[in-house]
Amino acid sequence: MLLQLNHIYKWVKQGGKRVFLLNDISLDVEEGEFISIMGPSGSGKSTLLNVIGMLDEFQEGEYMFLDESVHTLKEKHRSKLYKEYIGFVFQAYHLIDELTVYENIETPLLYKNIKSSERKALVADMLDRFNIVGKKDLFPAQLSGGQQQLVGIARALIAKPKLILADEPTGNLNSKQGEEIMELFKELNQEGVTIIQATHSESNAAYGNRIIHLLDGSKQHQASN
Amino acid sequence: MLKNYIKIAFRNLWKDKSFTLLNVLGLSIAFAASLLLGMYALFDLSYDQFHKNKEDLFQVYYAEQKPGGQEVATSMPVPFAPALQQELPNIKHISRYISDHALNLEAGKELDLNLIFVDPDFFQMFSFETVLGTKEVLKDNAQISITEETAQKLFGKTEALGETLDLLINGRREVFTVGSILKDPPVTSGLRFDVAVNFSHSPNYTENLDRWDSRNHSVFIQLNEDATASDITQSAVSFTDLHYKGNIEDLKRDGAQPNANGNYLELHLLPFKDIHFADFKGHSLKVSRAYPYMILGIGLLILCIAGINFVNMSIARSAQRLREIGMRKTLGAAKKQLFFQFWSESVWVFMIALLLGIGISMALESSFRQLFNTPATLSHLSSPVLIGVLVGSFVVITFIAGGYPALVLSKLGTLKALKGKLDLAGKNRVRNTLMVVQFSIAIVLISGTLVLKKQLDFMRNKDLGFNKTQVVAVPLNGKRANRQDVALLRNELAGKPGILSVTASDNNLGLGKDGSTYFSRMGFDYKGRGVHTNMLVVDYDYPETLGLQLKEGRTFSRSYSGDSLSIVINEAMARELQEKDPVNKQIILDDSIKYTIVGVLKDYNFQSLNKKIEPISLFMKSDWDLYYAFVKVAPQNMAQTFESIEDAWKRIEPNAEFLGSFLDENIDRTFKRERTMTTIITSGSLIAIILSCIGLFAISMLVVTQRTKEIGVRKVVGASVAQITFLLTKDFVKLVGIAFLIAAPVAWWLLSQWLQDYEYRIELQLWIFLAAGLLAVFIALVTISFRTIRAALKNPVESLRTE
Ligand SMILES: Nc1ncnc2c1ncn2[C@@H]1O[C@H](COP(=O)(O)OP(=O)(O)O)[C@@H](O)[C@H]1O
Ligand SMILES: [Mg+2]
Repeated sequence: MLLQLNHIYKWVKQGGKRVFLLNDISLDVEEGEFISIMGPSGSGKSTLLNVIGMLDEFQEGEYMFLDESVHTLKEKHRSKLYKEYIGFVFQAYHLIDELTVYENIETPLLYKNIKSSERKALVADMLDRFNIVGKKDLFPAQLSGGQQQLVGIARALIAKPKLILADEPTGNLNSKQGEEIMELFKELNQEGVTIIQATHSESNAAYGNRIIHLLDGSKQHQASN
Repeated sequence: MLKNYIKIAFRNLWKDKSFTLLNVLGLSIAFAASLLLGMYALFDLSYDQFHKNKEDLFQVYYAEQKPGGQEVATSMPVPFAPALQQELPNIKHISRYISDHALNLEAGKELDLNLIFVDPDFFQMFSFETVLGTKEVLKDNAQISITEETAQKLFGKTEALGETLDLLINGRREVFTVGSILKDPPVTSGLRFDVAVNFSHSPNYTENLDRWDSRNHSVFIQLNEDATASDITQSAVSFTDLHYKGNIEDLKRDGAQPNANGNYLELHLLPFKDIHFADFKGHSLKVSRAYPYMILGIGLLILCIAGINFVNMSIARSAQRLREIGMRKTLGAAKKQLFFQFWSESVWVFMIALLLGIGISMALESSFRQLFNTPATLSHLSSPVLIGVLVGSFVVITFIAGGYPALVLSKLGTLKALKGKLDLAGKNRVRNTLMVVQFSIAIVLISGTLVLKKQLDFMRNKDLGFNKTQVVAVPLNGKRANRQDVALLRNELAGKPGILSVTASDNNLGLGKDGSTYFSRMGFDYKGRGVHTNMLVVDYDYPETLGLQLKEGRTFSRSYSGDSLSIVINEAMARELQEKDPVNKQIILDDSIKYTIVGVLKDYNFQSLNKKIEPISLFMKSDWDLYYAFVKVAPQNMAQTFESIEDAWKRIEPNAEFLGSFLDENIDRTFKRERTMTTIITSGSLIAIILSCIGLFAISMLVVTQRTKEIGVRKVVGASVAQITFLLTKDFVKLVGIAFLIAAPVAWWLLSQWLQDYEYRIELQLWIFLAAGLLAVFIALVTISFRTIRAALKNPVESLRTE
């Protein structure tokens, strides 16, 4: 078991009343799974991914990640955990504009205090793998959307995470670029990386081996297959 | 990691070139200004601090209970110092001290030398390093000490031991042997001299040897290490009871009240290290380092303004960094790491600014020294301690100004940052507060400038009761007897075009080019009361030459034969004598000679303007010496006439330097401190204004950018250019208004404190502060308008599209 959510509730107070963003979510994720979270805009997909990625808090429920109970961990310990095991891919890429492709990919390694020579080798491997060696000295603004997302994925992978969380990774891309990214995810999944992605698109969702439907923060059971 | 930080720092700084430039510009101006001001202030504070024994060195002064209250005085009688050393414990060394001058008579080297009369202990007490010879040199009456510079000047070499000096001191010729050579006193020494001579050579030494009622010199003592100044004051009570018995009885008789300790006359010790900062103002002794600290304060305020600019710009710009922060957090950056990253970016800016600032201050150093008339150099800042302090304050400034934005940014929540949400309301409050502080500082400095300028003008233009524009004062520094020089000068100038009259006296008005000041006061009994007066020895035509107004009676005149026993007094003296009709009244001085008052002059400011006009009596005794000639010239062709006076002097005393100057120059010279202060505060407020404008400009630029969309929408729905400009401007003007409300009372209080020091001063008026406030508003408006008007004029379609 990679992670387990038990009866997670997340709400915000509006006018004294609770508005539920996540409503009684339970979810088991095994290592090696490829899960797609589907639902209309505002249904809570990003919120759920952020909770799984430990970027966001929740009010009730339990969250176990590799047998550690996340909800009781201190912030410092938690960040160590996700630094180690989780990589993020965003719809808006979120590359650092002032860093080159090479430096963007390298950044997570810097925060993990990895030696310079080892960093060089790891980044070189990654550039090679994604066929972007020639672009390594360019800045994000000089790349197309698809290329930027490639860099984003490369960056998410560089620290060899067990889990990749992708929030609408193809949302800003045309369909051909989107397909390439999806193929890449499939490949990664076959290599053993667990992937959870949020998406609008049926065809993208179909890449996963399990689909979770969300509506107003609740899991819709009838649609699972 | 560090390399990564540096890289991203420089890329970011480069990307926001305009902000980086504004920041670096502002900070380097601030660093340069505060370095120079710090140099000036620290130099001033280092006065007299180089003496190794400074903790144990003191100047002795009296606190006397006069009928009008306490008065303090530093002048001591000749037998005082030897008696004190004998009768009181804990005095390690003691030295009397008179500063005088002497003329070197050796042919071809007729030089005027600064000479001090001191006791042999002097060189044990003070750290004037002896290079050749011994510290005990003055134990031999015929030996003297000279400085290296003097030796070089007189003998062309510094190894001048055993050479002889032929000196004319107060009209007496004496020959001395050089017994020791001293290092030149440091520029920070308040005691300055070329030659030191045993005190027994001082004027009237033998006559005064046993006289306790004639006071003419200062006394410095060095205490044993474990003794304190108050010990001496206590143990000196019996000493004063014994030696000042007569004085004390007179005080009692005149109705003086004893002080809290029940004493009428006490001895006190002023720490030598405080002397440069001490002001003996008649009634009390005030030690105040306010002046250097004020200058240091202005430097700090300027740094503060530049620091605020930096903080405000960093926070305002941080909106653009939010995504980066969020991203870094998801990639595993800890708060500490983010803080360090943003902070190190600040450090670069500060480092560049500091280097530039040091460069600028070095480039401006010599003009600064000229402008502020100070011997201070940046090398005075180079002691290890000071460098430590400077580095320390640099780190503190960088830490606060760079650390605050870094802290704000590193503490942001990951998701908030990723979404680009910044709690702007809170940040704006900080920004607005800082801007209010900034403008308050500017307004305080502007009002300070206006008030100081007004006071200075007031003092310059004040009618002092004598003619200062048409009178030239010439110090009589020649080789001949001074009275002879005066007579010769009268002859030379008689009938020359432009010369109206010639006279002389024993004291100058204002501060002459000879740089010497002195006063002569005397006390005597009148109708059973002790009274005091300043004394002035004059020649014929003195009141006429100086344009003093006669109130009653007559002035000295050649047609009266007995005028050497006549005196002319001023109104203050008439009041001191409590005589409504003083003419023809007689006074008897200590030497039991009767003087008759023949005339009363209207009060005139013979002393500085921070003093009330004191009693003064003019004597015309031909056996007392004169030190200054005064020449009244016609208002036409004054420059030519001045030259003819100089020529005449050169013919009379070919070897003496001509140090004549108009009295208004002399008066101006006494305002040196006020002038310097005015220049400093004016430049300070100028810099403060420039820096505040840089900050305001940058903020207005950012605000306009942030509100581009809003402006566009408002224009689409029909707002006019004027309405938009007003909308964008009013917030800033409000801030300046608040700053005015805070700054005006502070400035009022500070400036009224400062004016308290002046007996003759301007009234503080509201309009000065209003003017400062309005000036600030006006400058702020102009600064903001560059951006706001442009934004308001912009085609709304354009601004909406860019969103
Ligand atoms: N911090 C918050 N406070 C209030 N409402 C929020 C907050 N975060 C998200 N929401 C709301 O929660 C709902 C779910 O948002 P999100 O998870 O982003 O949906 P999705 O990614 O499926 O489009 C939305 O209606 C959104 O407005
Ligand atoms: Mg979403």
